[in-house]
Amino acid sequence: MSELLNTLMRDARVWQGHRHTATHQPAESTGYQRLDNQLGGLGWPTGALSECLLDAPGIGELHLLLPLMQRLSHRGKTVFWINPPHTPYAPALAREGVNLDQVVMVHTDNQGDFLWTLENCLRSPVTGLVMAWPDKLAARDIRRLQLAAEAGSNVCVLFRERHHAEQNSPAALRLELTPGDHQALKVNIVKRRGSWPGQRCSLSMGHRADLASQETPRIIRGPWRQGPGTAANR
Amino acid sequence: MIWLYLHFPHLLLDHIRRAREDSGALVIVDGSGQTVLQACPEARELGVQVGMRLKTAITLAPELAIVQADDQQQARILEGQARWLYRYAAHVVPRPPNGLLAEVGSLQRLYGGLPAVWQTVEQALDEHQLTAWSGLGHTPLAARLIARTGKGECNADRDHILRTLGQLPLQVAEFDERTCTRLQRLGLDRLQQVFDLPPAELARRLSPETLARVQKILGSRPDPQPDWQPPHQFRQQADFAREIEQTQGLLFPLQRILSDLEDDLCWRQQETDTLFLTLQHRHEEPTRLRIRTSGPEHRAEAFLNLIRLRLERHPLRAPVLSLQLSVKRFLGREAPTERDLLGETQDLNEAWHTLMSRLQARLGESALSQLAPQADHRPERAWSAASLARKHQPTETTGLPRRPLWLLQGPQPLTSPPQAWFAGPERISGGWWDGQRVLRDYYIAQLDSGQLAWVFRDTQGGWYIHGWFG
Repeated sequence: MSELLNTLMRDARVWQGHRHTATHQPAESTGYQRLDNQLGGLGWPTGALSECLLDAPGIGELHLLLPLMQRLSHRGKTVFWINPPHTPYAPALAREGVNLDQVVMVHTDNQGDFLWTLENCLRSPVTGLVMAWPDKLAARDIRRLQLAAEAGSNVCVLFRERHHAEQNSPAALRLELTPGDHQALKVNIVKRRGSWPGQRCSLSMGHRADLASQETPRIIRGPWRQGPGTAANR
Repeated sequence: MIWLYLHFPHLLLDHIRRAREDSGALVIVDGSGQTVLQACPEARELGVQVGMRLKTAITLAPELAIVQADDQQQARILEGQARWLYRYAAHVVPRPPNGLLAEVGSLQRLYGGLPAVWQTVEQALDEHQLTAWSGLGHTPLAARLIARTGKGECNADRDHILRTLGQLPLQVAEFDERTCTRLQRLGLDRLQQVFDLPPAELARRLSPETLARVQKILGSRPDPQPDWQPPHQFRQQADFAREIEQTQGLLFPLQRILSDLEDDLCWRQQETDTLFLTLQHRHEEPTRLRIRTSGPEHRAEAFLNLIRLRLERHPLRAPVLSLQLSVKRFLGREAPTERDLLGETQDLNEAWHTLMSRLQARLGESALSQLAPQADHRPERAWSAASLARKHQPTETTGLPRRPLWLLQGPQPLTSPPQAWFAGPERISGGWWDGQRVLRDYYIAQLDSGQLAWVFRDTQGGWYIHGWFG
């Protein structure tokens, strides 16, 4: 009995408010030192679900995962994009040093196929990272995915809308992503297994468009006449 | 030379029985559907006998499954048997409708004596769930006659064979009817008596053909046999006595066919990545399924899993009369190399193919794609999505311009002016060579929502978003 309890404690399955346990969860570094520090020095949990909650694409959410993508694809692990909302742009990925031979894009027609695909990818030893953009997920679906994730040892990131932050979820890590000043990405940790939530940090993401963040926007003399407002009216 | 003849007394019956899970009474009837030609043991227990009228048989066994004999079908099944026999013997000749001839004299040293050859063949027959009467002879015809009487022995002694032949009644020697009658009228009823006749008299009084046949049986006249080669493809069919309505019912016969395929592929030292499965229906066009694996494969289990997934997705349109599995594409088996794409062990490579094949089988081949940059200035043509292939071409990563990670399916109009402009313009002009002209100035801008967008202005002055810096 006590052994069972110990295991539960050690794996941080029982949440203990009074102390931050140094957990033994396997994890992959995010590649951002600041974020790693907030995540107990670990990073993305492997063999568990993570959620990124954001309103709209284009705030640096892919760059958050890019260091991991680079690392895994060169390690020979496959990176799956399941139902991405837009096209992952191959020249940009190649430029960032992602091995495109290991990138597989999957499109599914319905929810059943989506879950099935995700489960299969998660259980396979070849998978390094699964990024998925689900339409709707019931809590029991997430639970099912969490179990599949535990069967493998890969990183699974679900991109969901921000209003889901208020609902609870069995995911091991939940990050709320919002745009910050100077093209930075503000990360708010909504949930982290075995620790307090609520840590925040801001990651500089200006490099994603070759913009130095401290630099004031270099206004290019646009081709518009009375300012950009009129241009958009056309 | 020593010849082995295999006579299949009820080949069609065996063929259908081994594709069945249940064991009900089954008979094969002749083309007109009047007379019982072959009856399985279950049917015989109920009193059904070979040669009986079908009506009588049905009265005896109301649940009787009936299959009509078809010469073409039987020839095809026979060829299937020749294919596996070819693995054991080099010179195999199918003898339609129900015999196989093989030269075994040259195999004695390989197998370590004739009894070992005999046993190997018997064992293979057993594995294939076939009933066959075998016979040995010093000539093809001698082997055939002995085998067809069902008294074959593993004894290749010439005198012994001649003695056995001599005791055979005249009717089994397969002379034509007229000759047979004439010989009987001469008072002959054993083959030995025919052998004893002087050859010249035999030719003059009966016919030269009769003499030729006798001499071929005895071996004093050459009887050359054609050389048969197995076709360079795999094809097997399972026919059902009762139509199959459930997918589950197809998997049982498929399992056997696939394990035959695995044996065949192992024997060829080859692999395949495409299977064709044809399901015949009674009143409808046959269903043709193409099952693809993402990489070379030979294991029956892997194929069966893919087929199961595929059949789960596409339920049967109509009850199935027969199924046929064929493989035309063979790939050389690759030795495990260190330089595979994954750079890891073969296991991972196999796991990759297994996963991809599974996904493709359920989602369709077009659902999975791999991305690659293309040499084109136009952003929408600077990438391509290809179906899965393990390619090793290194992609040129230096010198690529800064591009967003998300590209929209098509440009979307910019509805409100951006909050801040960062970089640009970058003029992209191209496509004059193929009529898809593009002339745009690209900017990087931040929208009010905080999104970093890749926007462009076209020649008409319209503003569009073409990508997100995700």
